[in-house]
Amino acid sequence: MLRAIAIGLPLTVLVTILALMIGTVVALPIVAGLRSKNRILWLMSRALVDLLRGVPPVVWLFILYYGVSIGAIRLTALQAGVLGLGVVAAAYLAEIFRGAISSIPKGQWEASSALGFHRATVWSRVIGPQTARAVVPAYTTFAIGLLKDSSIASSIGVAEIVFMSSQYARQSGEGIMVFFVAAGVYILLSVPLGLLSRHLDVKMRKAVAR
Amino acid sequence: MNNLVDVAIQFGPTLFDGLKVSLTLTLLSLAFGLPVGLVFAFGVTAANKTFRYVSVFFVEVGRGAPALVLLQLMYYGLPNADITLSSLASACLALTWTTAAYSAELIRGGIQSVPPGEVEGSHALGMSYRDCLRFVVIPQGLRIALPSLMGFAVLLFQATSLAYSVAVPELMSQAYSIGSSTFQYLPVFIIAGLLYAAISIPATWLSVYAERMLSRHL
Amino acid sequence: MEQLMIEPNIRTGTTVVQVKNLAKAYGSNVVLRDVSLSVQEGSVTAMIGPSGAGKSTVLRCMNLLEQPDSGEIEIDGHRIVAGRKPNAKNLAALRRSAGMVFQHFNLFPHMTVLRNVSLPQERVLGCSRDEANEKSMELLKRMGLAEKADQYPSRCSGGQQQRIAIARALALGPRVMLFDEPTSALDPEVGVEVLEVMKELASTGMTMVVVTHEMAFAGSVADELVVMADGGIIEKGEPGQILQDPQHDRTRRFLRAVLER
Repeated sequence: MLRAIAIGLPLTVLVTILALMIGTVVALPIVAGLRSKNRILWLMSRALVDLLRGVPPVVWLFILYYGVSIGAIRLTALQAGVLGLGVVAAAYLAEIFRGAISSIPKGQWEASSALGFHRATVWSRVIGPQTARAVVPAYTTFAIGLLKDSSIASSIGVAEIVFMSSQYARQSGEGIMVFFVAAGVYILLSVPLGLLSRHLDVKMRKAVAR
Repeated sequence: MNNLVDVAIQFGPTLFDGLKVSLTLTLLSLAFGLPVGLVFAFGVTAANKTFRYVSVFFVEVGRGAPALVLLQLMYYGLPNADITLSSLASACLALTWTTAAYSAELIRGGIQSVPPGEVEGSHALGMSYRDCLRFVVIPQGLRIALPSLMGFAVLLFQATSLAYSVAVPELMSQAYSIGSSTFQYLPVFIIAGLLYAAISIPATWLSVYAERMLSRHL
Repeated sequence: MEQLMIEPNIRTGTTVVQVKNLAKAYGSNVVLRDVSLSVQEGSVTAMIGPSGAGKSTVLRCMNLLEQPDSGEIEIDGHRIVAGRKPNAKNLAALRRSAGMVFQHFNLFPHMTVLRNVSLPQERVLGCSRDEANEKSMELLKRMGLAEKADQYPSRCSGGQQQRIAIARALALGPRVMLFDEPTSALDPEVGVEVLEVMKELASTGMTMVVVTHEMAFAGSVADELVVMADGGIIEKGEPGQILQDPQHDRTRRFLRAVLER
């Protein structure tokens, strides 16, 4: 039984990490859109985020896996899974980033202006670092959520933990145990993320201690 | 595009039936899960060890395990224990667990956010601990937690889409069976997606509105 | 404003509040050292002193919002000894006898003004809803706040909220009213409304203990002035005397700072 779960483990971790990376990168232009003064750009970003978050991830995965075919090219289960989860993650992360940026006191922007900083400097030296600090708790909480959502990829056949556990349960009839163990594995996997979050939080707080 | 409209017309009713099941599952899980969540909200910090350990176990597993795992656990696992429930009932049991676990944390957060001055005010008036909870702490705590609970309800509704994997005839499984018999996967999933969005998006706006209204009042 | 009439429990010459050897420390920080005090029926005691002196702590120990480490408290015959777990009935009776008014009012924001004043009567005194509402309206009318009865506290000004808080405490028929810096969170103009109510209350014979920074009130209304600093009482006596001619150097410094702002 443990073998089945152990086989699924690498893909669970892989899907989570890849989706998180895609999500983080794609979130950046979306945040820019959400903060834009341009009405059309803002509206498009808002609509995109609401749509991505308003549809269950499993539907997006199904659309990408079963629905998308450009010519003879179709996405593999893994590709569809990572892409789908990544794009949905981008929508959630865009909101998280937006929240973190707006939590920075207005005075920081004003001081930067008064000092005559270029926009690039303001972002890279003043706002960026502070946002990174503010975002750590929400980001790690989201990452833990994404770890659990990676299980959705099982529905399109990605051989991660839940897929392997279901297969095992069907064949052996030991339903209860295998899923409790699987639950335990997910919980254990989230512990290092939680610890990392607290460690980063403390480290970053010390850096700004007044 | 034509495809989309054709599929919509032909299979609309079936999909709507699926949506009804999804909504039923959501509402039932909320109805059972929220009261249990309220109990666990107090249970995790209770003095009684047994109550505390049981509460912490249910909350940690309910929050730490993916909903899909809990769904499969109930579906494959219950027959092991010689309990046979319909697929809807076992899915409901699983999602009730999820609801209870998440709402316990949200409610606990709400209760802890009640200004301590009000609790002192009721103590100074000589109100009993139970009265203080009943009239001051719980009403305010729930009020504070309401927007996050509404946000959770939307996520729960989306989570019902996973119940297709345990043979519940909700929206997703209807969409899948239509897709696999007609091979019109894309149109039918797009419509299913739109149906989910049609409910999730306004509900999310409502919870944002609720948050704004509540922070003004308090 | 009409005179406030509270059932007079006049047994002149009795001690309503007796505090003996109260001590409290938070870790290594000593907040109260050996504080003893007695308050006579019908008198107004004002407690003044620098921040951190322990004045609020003494007040909050009186109705056990804070637990003293050692000492005794007796209000209206109900005694609590520090260190021993207080008997629940005794504690409830003590809290019924002492009404408290807080710096930040602590009204219940999710209830109307009327319910704020009535609910404690229903739950603590066991009155029926009608009885409670009648008493509440009577008190609110005397405060000039009758038309606010069905509104929520957030729609009332700070001064109004504090007067409602006073009504809420009075509705339970206490023997002594404890005021913890009742006007410190209010604008000076608005604070005057509250001080007027407190003066009126004093003139009807209510026993009051007031922690305050309002020297004029302490000087004109109080019968006894207690000066605290660094966790202890440094001077106690007639307000006029102390304010004119303080005995202790610390008192002198404090009064100079306060009166010459």
